[in-house]
Amino acid sequence: MKKTDPQEFIPLKTQWFHIMLSLAGGEQHGYGIMQEVLTRTEGKVRLWPATLYGTIKRLIEAELIEESDVRPAPELDDARRRYYRLTPLGKRALSAECERLQELVRIIQKQVMVTQ
Amino acid sequence: MAYGAEVVQLGEDVVGDIAQRHGAIGLIRLVADIAVRVPLEYLSEMRRDMRYAMRALIKSPGFALVGIISMGLGMGLTTNLFSSKWQSIFRELPAAANAERLVMPEKPVSYYSIEQYRDQKSLFSGVAAFQTGVPFNVTFQDNGNDKPQRVFGQLVSADYFSVLGVPSQIGRVLGAELDKSGDAPVVVISDRFWRNRLNSSPDVVGQTLRLNGQPATIVGVTPKGFNGALSINPAELFVPVTAPPALAPELANDVLHQRNAREFFAMMCLAPHVALESAEAALDAITRRLDEQDRFAPVRSDKDNGRRVTLLSAGTMVPLPRNVKSALIGFFVVLMGLIMTIACMNLANMLLARGANRRKELAVRLSIGASRFRLVRQMISEGILLSLLGGVAGFALAYGLSILRSKFTLPTAVPVEPESTLDWHAAIFVFALAIVGGVGFSLVPALRATKADLAPALKEGSALQLPGYRRFGLRNLLIVVQVAVSLMLLLITGFLVMGFNVVSSVQTKFDPHTMYLLSIDPARDGYAPDKAQALFERIPDQLKTAGTVRSVALAAQAPFSLEDEDEAKQWTAQESPGAPAVQQPVIREWVGAGYFAALSEPLLAGREFVELDQRDLDHPRLDQRNQPDGSKSLPVVLNESAARGFFGNGSAIGKPVRDDQRSYEVVGVVGDLKNGVGISQSLIYLPLTQRNFARPPADGMTIMVRSDVGTDVLSAIRHQIAVLDPNLNIFNVRTLSDHLELSRSFQRFAITTYSGIGLFGLVLAAIGLAGVTGYAVALRRKEIGIRMALGARKGQVLLLMLREATALVSAGTVLGFLGAFALAKILSRLTSIFVDALKVGTDDPRLLIGAPLLLAALALLACYVPARRAAKIDPMNALRQE
Repeated sequence: MKKTDPQEFIPLKTQWFHIMLSLAGGEQHGYGIMQEVLTRTEGKVRLWPATLYGTIKRLIEAELIEESDVRPAPELDDARRRYYRLTPLGKRALSAECERLQELVRIIQKQVMVTQ
Repeated sequence: MAYGAEVVQLGEDVVGDIAQRHGAIGLIRLVADIAVRVPLEYLSEMRRDMRYAMRALIKSPGFALVGIISMGLGMGLTTNLFSSKWQSIFRELPAAANAERLVMPEKPVSYYSIEQYRDQKSLFSGVAAFQTGVPFNVTFQDNGNDKPQRVFGQLVSADYFSVLGVPSQIGRVLGAELDKSGDAPVVVISDRFWRNRLNSSPDVVGQTLRLNGQPATIVGVTPKGFNGALSINPAELFVPVTAPPALAPELANDVLHQRNAREFFAMMCLAPHVALESAEAALDAITRRLDEQDRFAPVRSDKDNGRRVTLLSAGTMVPLPRNVKSALIGFFVVLMGLIMTIACMNLANMLLARGANRRKELAVRLSIGASRFRLVRQMISEGILLSLLGGVAGFALAYGLSILRSKFTLPTAVPVEPESTLDWHAAIFVFALAIVGGVGFSLVPALRATKADLAPALKEGSALQLPGYRRFGLRNLLIVVQVAVSLMLLLITGFLVMGFNVVSSVQTKFDPHTMYLLSIDPARDGYAPDKAQALFERIPDQLKTAGTVRSVALAAQAPFSLEDEDEAKQWTAQESPGAPAVQQPVIREWVGAGYFAALSEPLLAGREFVELDQRDLDHPRLDQRNQPDGSKSLPVVLNESAARGFFGNGSAIGKPVRDDQRSYEVVGVVGDLKNGVGISQSLIYLPLTQRNFARPPADGMTIMVRSDVGTDVLSAIRHQIAVLDPNLNIFNVRTLSDHLELSRSFQRFAITTYSGIGLFGLVLAAIGLAGVTGYAVALRRKEIGIRMALGARKGQVLLLMLREATALVSAGTVLGFLGAFALAKILSRLTSIFVDALKVGTDDPRLLIGAPLLLAALALLACYVPARRAAKIDPMNALRQE
């Protein structure tokens, strides 16, 4: 039943995409994901706590992300936090989605040039 | 949800930031996000739990079956109790807008009093008068020459519907401005009457019915479900008290203006902000004043110094006094709780045993990282699933019981209709019960089973570290209590069943198949009082011409009928003016000439009534005491109990007895006729008088016709009555034997109910014992292995396992015996119905030995099944544990 082909996840849901994009740079905890999404989108996308963790749970079930056991330096670490990272499947799904979006943007730009 | 802690933490982290950026709206969104998302997450996880639980149950079908049966029985009985009793106590009168403010005095009063009450505008926003259980012989105009049908209705004052707050469905209801004395007779019909008897005819308003031979115009139909106040006796017709007496004989003799004719119930709607208590106090004062003005008011003895009026809240199906209501609520809550507790306890026991067997599975799951909460939730899901399946079974059971009950009709003159529909209330009730029960019985076993020391549990063969076994632990105590209670139930049930069988057998001195009972009610066929009396005088002679008829007698009630003790009146006997007066409550029956001869009942002394007794001596207004010093007193016949009560062993013949109105002369004494309840009540037989003929009781005047064995006289009887009047409505035709059968159906019903409860207790106790034994077997697996390796035989192991159960059963049996006898004592104090039954039953050795044997046999069988598993343990397997 488990999906193993990254193409099966395409297109990614907006929230999934934002979370996975935040993890593309490395391990991150829930609060970090939230802040990163907020800054990246200039405050347009806010992931509310329960929604965020609901999504994280589903991403783990889909095996796109996983809990990470690599923890930051003790002085930066908060023992209560869990860290997440992309799985290989998740990385492939994310890049497939990025390609799809770039393709989409190219098509739109081409269309715009034609009409102009 | 696995991330509960983190969600909370994250929420804390961001709350300041959100408040800063989004203000109050942001905070609301934050809360809403958590409040909506978290439960949804839980539900989706629950679904998975349920799927897993389903698989677990399918894997052990025996356990599932026992669980479903056990919960099904418990919930079925509880739901049945809820839908039949609870709802009839609490359900408000359908369609009555004022239901919450309705009150009524417990006892009927005179119409005059009700008019006085009506003037208390500050207390009541309305006061209506009504009589319920009034029979009407109804002829439908369209049906041409069809025989009239007997339909029960109410006589109501014109403001009845406005006091109740009941609107009309079609046409209009009665109204004080619309319906006045002297108007052409009108009638409001119930929705049921309209549907069943008039085929929901749309142009019903304006149609004419013949009620008791008189035309009455239908002006309206009541809303669906409305069967009148006191709807336990459903009314189909509502006739205003302004109707002429020819239409309703109850209204004869100017009863509306007779201050001592206490024949109406008052239905009152409390004014806003008036409490029932203050209305009762005010009403009491008014009633005292009215009583003082009324020279006919019964003389009150000293003990009557309390309240003269008791108000009941009347907006429900059955009006109940407040204290009775709270007692009933308590009783039902306790009873329902008890049944559910027993059912849940049993399942908890079984789950404990099952948890012990699943120890390893749980230990594995715990050790690879499942949280304890997760496992507990999983086990509770299993419990809830089992309980829900049991709920389905229980609802089916309750449904079956409600169908069974609807087929059973109480043998009363006026139809009684207990409210017993199983509706969505009951379905919700079952569902809630299932959830509560499911959590209830699985929580403790789940907590216990998951509190494991992992290392030993994981070892192959598992030397189980089960929670210690306590001989006097809660669990064993419960089993003892359960055995005791089941035995108590079984014994009490048995006492009652055997007792009822003995005392309810009526020994007639002839074959009851040879006596026919028929009822007629000429007053409701349009007969004037004197014509009715003339008809009754001719009936015996006329019927005797019908060939094989041996004897004919009239009575106002069927012989051997069950008399309500509440109907008893105080009568006084005083042998001579100076002698001390003897008072005792007696029940009155009105019988015609030749009554005892027809029943082959010889008189112990004196004579029985002759035709002369029912003629001339009486006066239509006798009961209103217009004859204070009647020149000749009415004759009465006493039964043996009454005669002994009044005159001891002395002769009663010729002595005077009196009620609160006039004096009578004893002319005969007859043996106690056993009425089938088995209580020897004191009875006084009065001769039928014109009053009885003019206004027969609700079930009409009974004609008893006895014929020779083996002849069918019924058609001849019908023919002879038709000779007298072809239009006379003959109803309630049955043989005496049918009548006796019917009049004891109440006891039969009671017996079935008690047997059902006894059986239920037995099954549950057996399940409980099986659970305990199963647990004990799981606990001592290793010990059994060692014993068998050392040479113990299977039989010995079996006995060892059964010893525990035997001790519990014995302790329970002793307690049960004591309890049953104590309960029998209490019951016979509470109600006289049980006295004779219990007296007979408690002496029966079959029961005293049989019941415990049956219980013990069943209990041991229940233990045997799991114990056999112990004997099958392979010693090699059990010993290879460490």
